[in-house]
Amino acid sequence: MGRRKLEDDDDDNNNNKEFKSKNLQAERRRRQKLSDRLLTLRSLMNKATIIDDAITYIQELQKTSQVLSEQLLEMEGSSEESVMPMKLEIDVAQHDMKKCGIKEEVKVSNIDGNKFLIKIIVEKKRGCFTQLIEAMNYLGFELSETNVTTFSGAMLFSSCVH
Amino acid sequence: MNLQESGCFDPQYSMTHWHALMVMGGLPSPDGTTTQTHDILEDNLNLSSYNHHQLEEEDASTAVQMEIQQHHLLDTTTTNSHFIPPELSYEQSNWDAADHQSFNMLLSSSSPEAAYPPTPDLLNLFHLPPNCSFLPNSSISFESASASSVVCDPLFHLNLTPQPPVFRELLQYLPHGYTLPADEKELYHDGDNGILEFTRDISMAAHAKGRDKAGKTTKHFATERERRVHLNDKFQALRKMVPSPTKNDRASIVGDAIDYIKELLRTVRELKLVVEKKRCGQDRSKRLKTEETASAADAGDGGCKLLGLGDPDQCYNTCLRSSWLQRKSKNSEVDVRLIDDEVTIKLVQRKNINCLLFVSRLLDELQLDLHHVAGGNIGDYYSFLFNTKIYEGSSVYASAIAHKLINVVDKQDAAAAPPTSSTCL
Repeated sequence: MGRRKLEDDDDDNNNNKEFKSKNLQAERRRRQKLSDRLLTLRSLMNKATIIDDAITYIQELQKTSQVLSEQLLEMEGSSEESVMPMKLEIDVAQHDMKKCGIKEEVKVSNIDGNKFLIKIIVEKKRGCFTQLIEAMNYLGFELSETNVTTFSGAMLFSSCVH
Repeated sequence: MNLQESGCFDPQYSMTHWHALMVMGGLPSPDGTTTQTHDILEDNLNLSSYNHHQLEEEDASTAVQMEIQQHHLLDTTTTNSHFIPPELSYEQSNWDAADHQSFNMLLSSSSPEAAYPPTPDLLNLFHLPPNCSFLPNSSISFESASASSVVCDPLFHLNLTPQPPVFRELLQYLPHGYTLPADEKELYHDGDNGILEFTRDISMAAHAKGRDKAGKTTKHFATERERRVHLNDKFQALRKMVPSPTKNDRASIVGDAIDYIKELLRTVRELKLVVEKKRCGQDRSKRLKTEETASAADAGDGGCKLLGLGDPDQCYNTCLRSSWLQRKSKNSEVDVRLIDDEVTIKLVQRKNINCLLFVSRLLDELQLDLHHVAGGNIGDYYSFLFNTKIYEGSSVYASAIAHKLINVVDKQDAAAAPPTSSTCL
């Protein structure tokens, strides 16, 4: 469109700018016309049409997202390389923890009658949080305030239980 | 957009118009009700909403919300003091359904220009209907006819094409069978007026439902009611599609639909990125196997965008994947936010369902690495915040996380409900 004119390698910069600005204006006018017309179209719609359109659009989007997720599942089944990096990660974690000198520990302190504050530092592994919660469950503890943070390959678990 | 800048959306704009209207004395005093003014204002908003309909749905909802706001505003103001002494009494019931029948015809037959008059003319449009409205009451004194014709004059500048057949039909529906003088009729020949009538009718139908007078012609009652029911059915259908609908009124339905559409757009965008990334990953691994050279820029986990320049097989991680959604259920609420490979999950429960175990199991299953958990209890609510990172290579996406999470929590909720909730540990 206007680009053809811009490629003119003349030294006449003014000339180029003229072309560009004329075309810019033309382009702007064209775009403005289109958006005005679209506005008109929208304004002509009545309530029922709008609702219908919305329903159709939602259905379309749902279908698209479903198709994409199925596609993803398909692709998931065919790729197997992802297992390796995870193992590497975990080894790194263990290494880090030892380097920082963090020790594993379990500490329980009684706050108030039935309440205890439990603090646990443990080496972070893939399912350790789950195991911890399972243990709590098993012991019949009700966790009221729980906090977990991880750093340098270690996991700090502190919780108020009773 | 020009029309947007002109401020048609501005509630103050509507209010000034309304005041101007009252000052001009265009409104006859209704019989002790202010519904007419409600509808005039609603007309304004409807009209502006038609005018401002951009391609996004949010404008519709804003218009509708403004409508509701205006109704609230109007509810608190009584306007009788501003009206001209009632020379024209105004039966509103005839609007109730009479003109619904011709609503479609009106809309289809009105000229395009009529559908969206330029902004300043809206003011004039307001003046038109009350004065040259279909006044069925026998006590109409047409002394005001002259006044109305003066007021209606500005409208003729709009160059609106007259719509005789439609309005004749409208006139048929007048309940009391009143005839109107011939000179008034030409004032009705206005496509724009038709649209105003239509919007007012819809609103009046909504407001004046309880005031069905016996005068309404019964043969048209059925079609109009059917139309309304049809429209309501559509609203209900829209409501059903939304995952967690809140209230059952039209504004909330539209608002929920808007939010849901935005959420769907986010999800679709995220899924596209994930699929693209996966494909890039697979292509890359294939190339690694064949060529044993690492491809460029596979540092992060961001989405891939295939650039047309240079080597078309290379993926450049130029986009960050981001998405968020919320799911609510009876006793719990899940909020999942995803940026690149970090997922933040917020879980709020109203009862002490104590599903921490199940949630952590699910997170393991979804290959989410827990970095931080903060759980607390405020009054009746238990809330948890999980900061997790997606394991490398996993292609889990936000909406899947949210769905599974809310399912797990609900299942737990259902399981815990019959026995006592606390000691199900």
